[in-house]
Amino acid sequence: MKPRYLTCHVYLAFARKSFQKQMQYRVANLAGLTTNFFFLLVQIFVYTAFYAARPGPQPLNLNDIITYFVLCQSFLMLMPLWGTRSEIANAIKDGSVALQLTKPVDFQTYWFADELGKACYYLLMRALPTFLLSSLFFKVTIPQQPASLMAFAVSMTLAIFMSTSITITVYGTAFWTLDATGIVGIAHSIITFFSGMLVPLALWPGWLAQIGGWLPFEGLVNIPFSIYLGKITGFAILMAIGKQLIWSVFFCAIGRIILNLGFSRLVIQGG
Amino acid sequence: MKSLSLYLHFITLRIRAQMAYRFSFTLELLSQASISVIDFLMIAILFERFKQLANWTLWEVGLLYGIISVCFAVAEMVARGFDTFQSLVGRGAFDNMLIRPLGTFYQVFAHEFQLRRVGKLSQALVVFLIANSHLDISWTLGKLGYLFLALIGGTCFFIGLLVIGAASCFWTVQSIEIINIFTHGGIFMGSYPISIYQRWFRHFFTFIVPLACVNYFPSLFLLNKIEPAGASRIVVQFAPFIGILFLCLTALFWKWGVSHYQSTGH
Repeated sequence: MKPRYLTCHVYLAFARKSFQKQMQYRVANLAGLTTNFFFLLVQIFVYTAFYAARPGPQPLNLNDIITYFVLCQSFLMLMPLWGTRSEIANAIKDGSVALQLTKPVDFQTYWFADELGKACYYLLMRALPTFLLSSLFFKVTIPQQPASLMAFAVSMTLAIFMSTSITITVYGTAFWTLDATGIVGIAHSIITFFSGMLVPLALWPGWLAQIGGWLPFEGLVNIPFSIYLGKITGFAILMAIGKQLIWSVFFCAIGRIILNLGFSRLVIQGG
Repeated sequence: MKSLSLYLHFITLRIRAQMAYRFSFTLELLSQASISVIDFLMIAILFERFKQLANWTLWEVGLLYGIISVCFAVAEMVARGFDTFQSLVGRGAFDNMLIRPLGTFYQVFAHEFQLRRVGKLSQALVVFLIANSHLDISWTLGKLGYLFLALIGGTCFFIGLLVIGAASCFWTVQSIEIINIFTHGGIFMGSYPISIYQRWFRHFFTFIVPLACVNYFPSLFLLNKIEPAGASRIVVQFAPFIGILFLCLTALFWKWGVSHYQSTGH
């Protein structure tokens, strides 16, 4: 049993440190911003060309699509496995995790704090600039009702929590594979696709959208951004947020189980 | 001849090292394939909904996608050494290469070979073959030869991009990540006909970074779309050679970079 006498300000300190660490990489962030912007530009060109053929009424109009992808590129680095790999994830690979386990803190919460510190950094230094810059160049919709903005804020926060707990769970598998690269890559593709980051679920063929709806990952992108666009309204918002909440708790629990199993079979490489 | 047998020896060593962790290797192979599968799935979904894009059908775009992905997968497989070059410079390990009796370009090229890219490569080939079976391309010897040259040219183009990224380390130590825009971003934008982009964007990727020569012009040739697309036949015929020329230029840039190299002094 680890002592639980430490209060939450310890974790806040971890989060702050992680935030500061990210601040070191200014040039990398600038390069990242440019990349975000490039992909956004291509996406907008592509959809403009698709819509130009007048394909009839669509569930989302071109303006919705542009706003959707502006949001996607803004929040990209907050999505599971998209941000830089944390030192904790690497520590499992090189064995230095043993040292971190000696800290009198709960390992998963510690990791969570570290990831959230990073998330705050990406919110401030990546999401905000990408969004503001894009609004200058493209026609980005802003929700008119303060209520839908509120709902979006809640839903996005949950999406970030869910993203963090998924990230920890996936990297946690490194206790078994030693090098998580393969699993991370596979999880990354599946999650990215089913989150709706590549194509909004509204444009998917019915049967595929149905599968997407059963899976948790639309809670990362499709749900918050559909709320933003006003495509989910009224009581459905509560349902959607409830779904995000349930899956967040689920991934926290799975992550905890994986980490605990991992500790029990931990063999340190390299001594 | 000697350098070729040495190269084969080097990559055999690399492959054996990668196969040592067979489970990890299998997962990485799958991971490589899954990344490109979702990329194509995205395109397929869009065509399922919108049916066509600027007079291109799904399988015509599949041809575009197949060619560019094959080129990039091969380039990443053979020339990843340039992509990880910054760690060599950062550790000062490049100094060792300078005192060996072999060219530096050759050594960096030969020091990495990533077999796991076969995952991506086979997915790209599958898309290409399916696209081909849906299209009605009358394959002649000329077209086959052209395709072969186009694949070589495209691979050279992507290797050239990786070389530029690596050579920039001679000045900046850290690799310039902007090059990712042209590699990964290039694949993304090159998966659609370049005619859909705005003029300045199109011109940039034709004349400055000749990405259009990798797959767009070759696809026009194979699909007999040159005239409808309003392209010049001469440009299309020379397109495969542009990538090779591009690689030669970047090799010169590399040479120039090496002469500016200052060790990090570890």
